[in-house]
Amino acid sequence: MSTTITLADSDGGEFGAARPARVIVQKARSWSTTALVSAVAIALSVPLIVIVWSVIEPSIEVWEELWATRLPGMIGETALLLFLVLVGTLVLGTALAWLITAYQFPGRRVLGWLLVTPLAIPGYVLGFVWIDTLNGPLGAREVRSIWLCALVLTITLYPYVYLFARAAFREQSQRAVDAARSLGCSNKKAFWRIVLPMARPSLAAGVALVGMEVLTDIGTVRLFNVSTIADGVLRVWFGTGNRDAAAELAVLLIGVALLLIFIERLARGRARFTQLGARTGLRIQKLSGSRSLVATTLGWGAFTLFAALPIFRLVTWAVEAQSTNQTSTVSGDFGFHLMSSLQVTLIAALACLGLGLLLAVAPNRQRPSGSWLPRLATLGYAVPGPVVAIGALVTLAAIDRLGWLPEGWLLVGSFLGLIYALVVRFLAVAYHGVDASIAKVSPSIVASARTLGAGRYRAAARIELPLAGAGVLAASALVAIDIFKELPITLILRPFGLETLPVWVWQATSESLWVQAAVPSLAIISIGMVLVAALLWSLERGATVAS
Amino acid sequence: MAMKFPFKRTLTFSITALVGFSLSGCVSGTESDSVTSPADGVGISNGATVTVYTGRHYGIEPIFEQFTADTGIEVRFTTGNDPELRERLIAEGANTPADVIMTADAANIELAADAGVLASVDSDILMETIPVELRGASDNWFSLSQRARVVISSTERVANPPITYAAVGDPEWQGKLCLRPSTHPYTQSLVASLIIAEGEERATAIVQSWVDNDPLYINSDTDIYKAIASGECDVAIANTYYLGRLLTEDPEFPVGIVWPEQDSRGVHVNVSAAAITANAPNPEGALALIEWLATDGQQQFADANFEYPVDPNLEPSQIVAGFGEFTADLAAVRQLGANQPAAVRVLSAARYE
Repeated sequence: MSTTITLADSDGGEFGAARPARVIVQKARSWSTTALVSAVAIALSVPLIVIVWSVIEPSIEVWEELWATRLPGMIGETALLLFLVLVGTLVLGTALAWLITAYQFPGRRVLGWLLVTPLAIPGYVLGFVWIDTLNGPLGAREVRSIWLCALVLTITLYPYVYLFARAAFREQSQRAVDAARSLGCSNKKAFWRIVLPMARPSLAAGVALVGMEVLTDIGTVRLFNVSTIADGVLRVWFGTGNRDAAAELAVLLIGVALLLIFIERLARGRARFTQLGARTGLRIQKLSGSRSLVATTLGWGAFTLFAALPIFRLVTWAVEAQSTNQTSTVSGDFGFHLMSSLQVTLIAALACLGLGLLLAVAPNRQRPSGSWLPRLATLGYAVPGPVVAIGALVTLAAIDRLGWLPEGWLLVGSFLGLIYALVVRFLAVAYHGVDASIAKVSPSIVASARTLGAGRYRAAARIELPLAGAGVLAASALVAIDIFKELPITLILRPFGLETLPVWVWQATSESLWVQAAVPSLAIISIGMVLVAALLWSLERGATVAS
Repeated sequence: MAMKFPFKRTLTFSITALVGFSLSGCVSGTESDSVTSPADGVGISNGATVTVYTGRHYGIEPIFEQFTADTGIEVRFTTGNDPELRERLIAEGANTPADVIMTADAANIELAADAGVLASVDSDILMETIPVELRGASDNWFSLSQRARVVISSTERVANPPITYAAVGDPEWQGKLCLRPSTHPYTQSLVASLIIAEGEERATAIVQSWVDNDPLYINSDTDIYKAIASGECDVAIANTYYLGRLLTEDPEFPVGIVWPEQDSRGVHVNVSAAAITANAPNPEGALALIEWLATDGQQQFADANFEYPVDPNLEPSQIVAGFGEFTADLAAVRQLGANQPAAVRVLSAARYE
């Protein structure tokens, strides 16, 4: 945030300069901007380049062996899991968003908020709650299946689609639906022919985020014995110590992610739907009698199943842990873990936001570098956390060896090093949110400001940011939730004396002490819910996470 | 956390870090907190702090506290997974703040030794207490406790459990077998021990026979014990110390231990191990800690997790002693690391999950 404000101030001094001078200054600034953005993009992609480098000399034997053994299975399971979760989140997220947007029934407003809460529950927590709960009725064998894994991932990830869909529905105007109705469409037909197609870009964006999360997940798939490519990267790396072969698998994963982004662009097409006139919103249909009962049951049933029951289970464990005093193996007290988590989240989210703003505002959209530099800088979202962590570790250690820093100062194991790795991994979430909401600001308003003499950053600070303010807040909340739940990077790179809540969960669950994991899990969920509330509040004020 | 982190200080730290970060965007925090320095750690307590990376974290803090109480040397430690801590140590090289690395598995510490990040140690105390098979080949790592990976079976449903690892693959146990997935080091080490004793070809055949029994893979030894108790499977392979924990909760827990390979090489044992890093800023403190863990702290270290002491003169805890006496395959321990990649290969070839 501070970045933009500082730059805007420096712009202010230039405001009254003579015209020819300004052209030169602007040219120079355009170059310095490109240089700055390039520097950011390079700095953030080095950890991935370090990993990807090995592909130049592929380890043929390892690939042959992998192909003969696990690779086909890994590709198959990844594809099936991806398909199930994408379809599941698309259907569930869109349906629930439509239920909340289009119908009036008891508790609708509260429910609209509550339905986002699964976003605050880390997949690895929801996974072990479900496994333990269904172990009895289903049996230990049936519980560990790709189907249940897909279900758990769908539940934790559908809120992405739900949020995007709600925002998209909100922005639609009743006029289009009315026009369709006057031409003889039924309500149902109008939904399928008008409302849904117009929401397509948003839905595609939400589903793309879900896809990234599924591709890079490690914690949840391992609970269910699902062997994905991401799991394979770690299996090869840590099992055989063959970093090159692991890196090549990681490249395969990045390839799949890029394919996913490409498909999303296709789905989005050339569509740039801008709504005409004021946002009148869709008419809300008041339900009564049995239909109201059905809607209420569906909405509250979904919330109960997806969030309330797991949370209740965790609460009973937390009570059990307290009453049997099973928290003694954990180091540090609750406040200490909470503060660790909050400080990491706060600073990393601010850093993501600052850089996201820079990437969204600075590059010239007309120039090719304007589109591929941000993409390069945000590639870390397509790479599993542990791989980003090791890439960052190797990069930071190399800098430490150069000895540029004052005597005794090291980046590895420093707070800054941790924040850096988190930014590499999660910048995409902030960037896409910010970029989408800024892109929504009509170019003609910005152009007017520029003709009146405002520089690019001044226009950004005075016009684009205030108009996109809620969207920026939504992006911050979303990235903060992601960072707050993050485990693998924090585990590998955290400095001494910093133990976050997810690390506490890991200390318990890696020893199968589920009961002891309940308290920190609940803390993660409750703080996450506060962030979710912030997210929704900003969405209510008209932000869109992406378009 | 070796250091208790007061609430207020954490807050101050976060604000300092926040200001430092947003002002400069690069390394320039005025608080040394934001950058870890080896000189720093030593400086704070006059050379009396030992820094530890530990992959074994269950109940480790009280042990370090006892060490500090006994010797006056502070311990600063961070926890993590064995392979990741190893990667971190290798990446840090000469700059590492770590004096000691502790792992929950022999292979991982041997792989660290291969990477050249461990120091050889000349210590009469360690040579006397720790049997030669349980030390690194050039005395560059030392086992501190042993964990036996045994055959376990239901005391209610199984009269004649398998007495070798190979017998677990007997068709009799079709659909009744529970195993830990191949991602876990315990599985990899077990298969490495099979390769060492019987060769890669025979080991592949044994692993294949397990897989042919359509095992239920559960990534938690505790849950494997519970799966036998609840009837999900009759036979499994697991570590003994989890039974120690379960028996503390329920003395009637219906799962029994079989010591496999007692007529041949002995049961597969893995170890918790420790080593002094090659670039330790405080090697004296590191040695003091490892020597203490091998002697005065030995009993506490082993008992904390229901493991077997490495010092043959010490008795295991009462519950553990109740599991009976056994012959251990000590000869394999220091070869586990070298054979781990082959083990992963064998597991893959058999499509072990």
